[in-house]
Amino acid sequence: MSEQERKLPSPRPAHLVEAVLLVSASPLGSSDLCSATGLSESELKRALACLRERYAPEASGIVLRDVAGGYLLSTNPACSGAVERFRREARAAPLSSAAHEVLACALYLGPLTRAAVSRVRGVNSDAVVRSLIERGLLVEVGTDREAPGSPALLGVTDEFLAATGVSSPDDFPPVDALVTQEELSRVRERLASSTTAPPESGGEPS
Amino acid sequence: MTLEPPGRSLSDFTVELDVYSGPYEWLLALILKDELEIFEIPLRELVESYLFARRPDAANGLERDTDFAGSAAALVLLKSRTLSPAIDADTEGIEDEPLSPEELAERLTEYLKIRRAAEHLRNRFASNAGHYASGHTIPPRPGSLSIEPDRVSLAARQVFSRVLEPPVRHLGPITVTLQELAGVIRTALAAGPISFERITSDMDRMNRAVAFAAALSLAQEGSLTLAQIEPLGPLILEPSG
Repeated sequence: MSEQERKLPSPRPAHLVEAVLLVSASPLGSSDLCSATGLSESELKRALACLRERYAPEASGIVLRDVAGGYLLSTNPACSGAVERFRREARAAPLSSAAHEVLACALYLGPLTRAAVSRVRGVNSDAVVRSLIERGLLVEVGTDREAPGSPALLGVTDEFLAATGVSSPDDFPPVDALVTQEELSRVRERLASSTTAPPESGGEPS
Repeated sequence: MTLEPPGRSLSDFTVELDVYSGPYEWLLALILKDELEIFEIPLRELVESYLFARRPDAANGLERDTDFAGSAAALVLLKSRTLSPAIDADTEGIEDEPLSPEELAERLTEYLKIRRAAEHLRNRFASNAGHYASGHTIPPRPGSLSIEPDRVSLAARQVFSRVLEPPVRHLGPITVTLQELAGVIRTALAAGPISFERITSDMDRMNRAVAFAAALSLAQEGSLTLAQIEPLGPLILEPSG
């Protein structure tokens, strides 16, 4: 213990957790927090409950977020304008539709290869994947040893989970719940009508 | 009159895009050097910028137009190649085979789900924007970089491999021009909005493809607008104005 630590009153558990969270740029899990602060699991829970109250969105310019399997102190979105002016930087440009589709593939169908992403989307997605890796939202999580050339497998990152405000991929709704049966039926009907249509007058091979 | 070096007629043309702001020539250089992703460049905006800044009365007006048309066409080709499905020499023949209706339905269903999931993600990103974490970032520790020889070898193969030309065996001889089909579309639009499927109902695949390109071209010049209310739904062509 340093001379300075000996002179100051003992910090409360919430203060210890708050200090560690303040210097972390990424979410910290319970085990990391317990290890850094020396608190037990139950002490940590109580400290976090105290911090949640102190950093509620309506009470502070800083909020405590439960994202990517950990806890993270961030600025309150209501104050983002002031932060951006201070940092003299504009908010990152929103992702393109293509980028959202690639992320959805990695989230719901991943880990999967670049070729599999392109196959689902019907267009080459390599450039979009490269861009998302550079932005830290996608990462190569392994390789498909059974495929020729052992292509890399892609998955979403903790940064992606933090940016979407969830703690784990399981927090997203099931993909089947996002499409109505009516929509799926319409697609099948259209396909059925197009396949039963009379042959084309041009007579070119299909 | 000052004579510019050959090929430098666009040296004073600057563009303002979300992803780049500066001289057009530098934009081309950055794209060619892979410093900028071609898929992020909105080519339509680029063309509109040029049309806005166009100087038809300039002494080198024709040369500028020609140079721009040439470079813009190259960008279109480059972008279309970037977006074309990757071609694997081992599976080239297999990919040419048409999908069965069941397989097609399965693929479309899967894509529809992914598209809906993408829309859900867009909303989640938007509702969680504006959170800034602590600015303190721990620098990486030395010696933590690991290199997998397999990945290096694969990356080297990809870098030095030649891009394969897309197969065009399935295309028959082209017997129709864009202008002819633009004329067909204009005639059909005279009676009011009409679906693309109706215009092309008696056309073969090649004519449909050229008709689609003609419709895009007419939309680009403002002669019509394209509307598709829902994914995979009918594409409606409406006369502008």
